[in-house]
Amino acid sequence: MRTKILLDEEDIPKRWYNVGADLPTPLDPPLNPATRKPLQPQDLEIIFPKSLIRQEASTERWIDIPEEVRDIYRLWRPTPLFRAFKLESALKTPARIYYKYEGVSPAGSHKPNTAVPQAYYNMVEGIERIATETGAGQWGSALSLATCLFDMECTVYMVRASYDQKPYRRSMMRTWGAECIPSPSDRTESGRRFLKEYPNTSGSLGMAISEAVEDAAKHENTNYALGSVLNHVLLHQTVEGLELKKQFEIADDFPDFIFGCVGGGSNFPGMCFPYIPDKLKDHKEMRMVACEPTACPTLTKGLYAYDFGDTAMLTPLLKMHTLGHDFVPPGIHAGGLRYHGDAPLLCNLVNDGLIEARAFHQNEVFKAATTFARSEGIIPAPEAAHAIKATIDEALKCKESGETKTLMLSLSGHGHFDLSAYDAYFDGLLIDYEYPAELVRQSLAKLPQI
Amino acid sequence: MQSSHRSDPHRERRLGFLINPIAGMGGKVGLKGTDGLSKMAREMGAEPVAPKRAIEALRHPGLRGSILFLTASGEMGEDALREAGLAHRVVHMAADPSGPEDTIAACQAFVREGAELILFCGGDGTARNVAFASGETPILGIPAGVKMHSGVFAVSPRAAAGLAFRYLNGELQTRETEVADVDEESYRSGVLQTRIYATARTPYLPALVQERKQVYSSPSEDEFKREIALFAKEFMRDGSAYIMGAGTTTESIAREMGVEKTLLGVDVVREGETILMDASESDLLRLIGEIQGGGARAMIIVSPIGAQGFVLGRGSQQISADVIRLAGPENLIIVATPHKLAELSHLLVDTGDCALDCALSGERQVVCGYRLAQRKKVIAAGDLL
Repeated sequence: MRTKILLDEEDIPKRWYNVGADLPTPLDPPLNPATRKPLQPQDLEIIFPKSLIRQEASTERWIDIPEEVRDIYRLWRPTPLFRAFKLESALKTPARIYYKYEGVSPAGSHKPNTAVPQAYYNMVEGIERIATETGAGQWGSALSLATCLFDMECTVYMVRASYDQKPYRRSMMRTWGAECIPSPSDRTESGRRFLKEYPNTSGSLGMAISEAVEDAAKHENTNYALGSVLNHVLLHQTVEGLELKKQFEIADDFPDFIFGCVGGGSNFPGMCFPYIPDKLKDHKEMRMVACEPTACPTLTKGLYAYDFGDTAMLTPLLKMHTLGHDFVPPGIHAGGLRYHGDAPLLCNLVNDGLIEARAFHQNEVFKAATTFARSEGIIPAPEAAHAIKATIDEALKCKESGETKTLMLSLSGHGHFDLSAYDAYFDGLLIDYEYPAELVRQSLAKLPQI
Repeated sequence: MQSSHRSDPHRERRLGFLINPIAGMGGKVGLKGTDGLSKMAREMGAEPVAPKRAIEALRHPGLRGSILFLTASGEMGEDALREAGLAHRVVHMAADPSGPEDTIAACQAFVREGAELILFCGGDGTARNVAFASGETPILGIPAGVKMHSGVFAVSPRAAAGLAFRYLNGELQTRETEVADVDEESYRSGVLQTRIYATARTPYLPALVQERKQVYSSPSEDEFKREIALFAKEFMRDGSAYIMGAGTTTESIAREMGVEKTLLGVDVVREGETILMDASESDLLRLIGEIQGGGARAMIIVSPIGAQGFVLGRGSQQISADVIRLAGPENLIIVATPHKLAELSHLLVDTGDCALDCALSGERQVVCGYRLAQRKKVIAAGDLL
């Protein structure tokens, strides 16, 4: 039995899978924030290329991957599927544990899977520069890489706190030729307004989004790009799950569970959406489990409703599980999972019961990450460690029951830029945050409805 | 704030300094406090503790230089400062033997003479007197007493000196904290009854409440109190009656709501109005019965009191085991700032009802900001003995 199940470069998928074609319940449309009417394609043209807007609204099951994009995917795709023999034996579980590792990309995570096509479509439509925001720095570095490979410019508004804390993420972006600006900045009107109002602010993702969107809207040659939540982002990420299906065929196995972490939702949907037809049509009893932090438990505790995608209420209203656009998640180490909402496609499937969700505390997540690192070697990103925790829990259940289930873990990235978080865990400094759901429900009960 | 003034390196900084010479003497001879009992303690063989602790603090190198110590005569400060070789001026002549009235008079003199901080060495009793006389001037305790329930004490003499030095240097903010003390009469007869006597401002290290990689300082404790208050104001409009324990965090909730609240007592708020002030246990039991009879819930909001983190059993005795049982243990809401939680490894409950304490212990949610909570371990005090 092999430890690594590898595919050839020719096995890189030629088409993305669009789950929008197979939803049992149609997706509720995004709404224009001003009119509250369904968004029209032209509403988005000021910041997105037409081809991506078409993908956003498409219900075609398969969408071709441009050869130019596949060429760049070759730099790290297909990503390996590992059989976690050493973790299995450390846990003494009869379960078979697999993990597909996206940390082999140049940026160290799954984010380039969508950064590359997004940069490509913008380049084809004559856009010369892309503006974006980044929180922890993963998306900013992935888009910097992608724009660099298509000879475009990139401006990344990085949340001030991360800009100061993660100098090496900044260095990556500069190496790939991007300009990285701490947000709020004096580059944009909204940035200047934030600075005037909160001179000592350490910034927030909401503020950085406002700056990037304004930059894109005000410059003819510039567009905006988002690294999760939107339909076309999830579409691009399905290269993961399509490869995974082939790899499981080679292994002659089939996952009973797929575990992945969810912030805004891109890696986990990318891994499990290609299995939705199997679940729907072939009635496979597999379970797909979205893993999130108790500090920001969108899917497990949020309300399924229309809400803004950003704090400043500039974005379209999306039907999603939300903790409220004004919710500021506490500063947990899994920075990539600190988002108040989730991808509408994912939420639709959770609401229909096809995907389930579980939430975990920081300390138990880092404990699981350490167990993983000490058996499999890879030091996982704190985000991905949420899925590791869920996988280990299930493997231990199998140990009790004696079942030999197949557990598939989506390992979205490495944690080499998060080592101070590991130190904080070892030193007992991590705080376990919770979302006081019952009290929030009580506080919202008598608020005027939107 | 005075920080810009304090950060001027060339000015003379004035620090009020006093020792309660008999504080802590009762501890080793089992007296559980020395208020009014110093003579008995000395006869039982107790040795002065506070002067030694004070000198330990005064040896901190940060206290040398351009600080003028204002102090009281003899063993109330002058002797220790002389021994430590620090520049000082006596602003109060203490009686022999000295007493609580000397502590009060000395602190009043410190304030008159422009002290920026009062550093005192003693226990809870001393803290009460210092807080009473210090007005708006921040105070900081060098721990030397038998009982130290108040939040104004540093963890050690050396830590107290370090905090004082950094505060005078303009590096630290102050926060409001409770000055609590047990009733020594009942304590000596084995009954532990703590009360909050006052509040005072004290310097503190702004906790880096998030992760260590976030090296920027977090918002101040007062901002978090306001966040908790804003959240509470929202969830408290559900028609339930809210029994609010003593302390500065619950007081800030009342302030935000614009309702009356006694700082040291237990009050009941419903639908934006205070319906009962300074309630006794029997008042609460009667009210809960009425509220529940009308089909509504009675909720209880408490906050950890003092340095040990008691959420029940200290500070608000009126919220008794019977009151909690009647309201329902599931209706207990704990609130605390992240700063306070960072200082406490766990919270304590001591309602006098072991089964209830046990039911209330374990991992519990503590509201620590706007729509934000932490998970914190709650321990039954009886389990620690």
